[in-house]
Amino acid sequence: MNRVTLRKTLISCALLGGALLLAIVSMSLLGSERLPARASLCALASLGTRACGLTSDQFDILFQIRLPRILLAAAVGGSLATAGAGYQALLRNPLAEPYLLGISNGAAVGTMIALVFFGAVEWIRPLLAFTGALAATFAVYRLARGRAGATPERLILAGVIVTTFLSSAIVFVTTMMDATRIRSFTFWLLGDLSGTSKALLPVAITITILGALALTLHARSLNLLMLGERDAFDLGVEVGRVRVVVFLVASLLVGSSVAASGSVGYVGLVVPHLARLSLGSDNRISIPAAALGGALFVIVADTVARTIIAPRELPVGAITALIGAPLFIYLLKRV
Amino acid sequence: MLFVFFVPFVAPCAPVSRRIQTVVWLLLLAISFGCNSGAKPVLDGPARVTRVVSLAPNLTEIVFAVGAGDKLVGRTSYCDYPPEAKAVAEIGDTLHPSLERIIALKPQLVLISTSSQLEVFTQQLQNQNIRVFVTDPQDLEGVFKSITQIGEMLGQKDQADVLVTKLRERANAVEQAVKGKAPVRVFYQVSGEPLYTAGRDAFVTDLMHRAGITSVTADVPGAWPKYSNESALAAKPEAIILPTGGSMGAANSEVTEALRQSPAALRGRVYKINDDYLTRPGPRAIDGLEAMARALHPDAFK
Repeated sequence: MNRVTLRKTLISCALLGGALLLAIVSMSLLGSERLPARASLCALASLGTRACGLTSDQFDILFQIRLPRILLAAAVGGSLATAGAGYQALLRNPLAEPYLLGISNGAAVGTMIALVFFGAVEWIRPLLAFTGALAATFAVYRLARGRAGATPERLILAGVIVTTFLSSAIVFVTTMMDATRIRSFTFWLLGDLSGTSKALLPVAITITILGALALTLHARSLNLLMLGERDAFDLGVEVGRVRVVVFLVASLLVGSSVAASGSVGYVGLVVPHLARLSLGSDNRISIPAAALGGALFVIVADTVARTIIAPRELPVGAITALIGAPLFIYLLKRV
Repeated sequence: MLFVFFVPFVAPCAPVSRRIQTVVWLLLLAISFGCNSGAKPVLDGPARVTRVVSLAPNLTEIVFAVGAGDKLVGRTSYCDYPPEAKAVAEIGDTLHPSLERIIALKPQLVLISTSSQLEVFTQQLQNQNIRVFVTDPQDLEGVFKSITQIGEMLGQKDQADVLVTKLRERANAVEQAVKGKAPVRVFYQVSGEPLYTAGRDAFVTDLMHRAGITSVTADVPGAWPKYSNESALAAKPEAIILPTGGSMGAANSEVTEALRQSPAALRGRVYKINDDYLTRPGPRAIDGLEAMARALHPDAFK
């Protein structure tokens, strides 16, 4: 990596990382219940080792409910934005996004099957979600490759077909559930972070960090791949291997976030676009920036979702789509 | 609320004068029953009904309880009580009933619960000249009113009156028993992940009130709102009610993770009550009332 890019990457990541930390702390102060700000900040600064005058209920709200949810929001946002950036670079298509390509739906079908047949075993959910995401990725990729190669239009059409097919599969799986659970599943399908599972949270965070690192390490190859697969091959990129790595890593990222929170839409589309618009299309910068920016975006969106009609709640997916769709139209008009 | 809901479906297909008539009629209905009242008949007509289809389990229970089970020709897959109901033809589930099958059964009357959100479906039935009775009780009085109205429509008025009197006596007995007891502050967990509870418009909120229980979410708008984990914990409920074990099976049999540190869970004051009693606004709601009062005020029933 040349000196200018490395410096630019480090500075922008440091700035975004600072903003992320600021968001985690400040959003921890917002919720349906009011917590004393000074005491909360003191408790957060001590990383939960001191109560700083918070009552035990307030302490539990902050550290057992609010903070885990914010961290999960960060993991989900980081995962989806990183996966989106990866798909967009590999498929050379700015519209490639886990939600629009049906990959989130693949993961959702996997998760639902896990819930219906292995409801009690939590770790099966991300596993089957990953399998579903991978299968959907493979299906879209194969459908998109026509005789003339994969055109952007063909990819989006393939995504539409896979999405609708898997939506039907989701409806089919819901018929296997009892009526009382269906409503909570429709909520979950829209993307919902309220059921933060203590067991899955560390898994989701680990996968997000490792996934973002893995894709950033392949950023140079992805830069060359944006010239075209043939040119990249001539320049020494192991195209086949990079493709497998990106597909696996992105499916893992989508799978773990969908298993934890359902399908939160538009994150993988809007955030990488914003990253490229503000920092340039070099994947060595835009992938880590998208990871941090995605975390930031979903944390803010989920804070809106859990406070705007408190003590009732909205699914975070409704907020990301409400922010994401108009923003995306604006971005399209600008480019 | 009701007024706004139904007019769009009724109005467009009626001639103008009838449309105005319908609007006025519905307006009167909305005023006379108020927004939180019980049963709301959508169509009225002659009382002689020999074939009836029920699209909700509570309505099936009411039909049998007023002694008109022999007139029931269709029911949903959720209608599993009383056991005789299972012998009646199935017409799909509450959310996806088969219109064709209902029409083939030639009912004069179809009973619908608005919680099943079937307004468009209602219109289709009315186009077939099948009378539709929609009921959405939001409190125990509303349940009694549904029973009386269904009894009248099925020519079983006397039996319905006897039933309502008996149920009312049991309800009064419970209310007398818990009178003067300090109300217990309860969180009612409809489902754990994500967390749903019973709000202002849920009929179980009224049942809890009568059982000497204060629901900590009694003022939350809506019937079944999705609820904030932290607000549930901050409300410091003294006890938690889990509707479970009936049609829900083992689902919802555990307190949600966010409430495991609540005083209620720590002291073991978690009560599982048959969800069929608490989610079906029918005759067995009184069993739910008694079960909740006995669980939370055991000393009142010695």
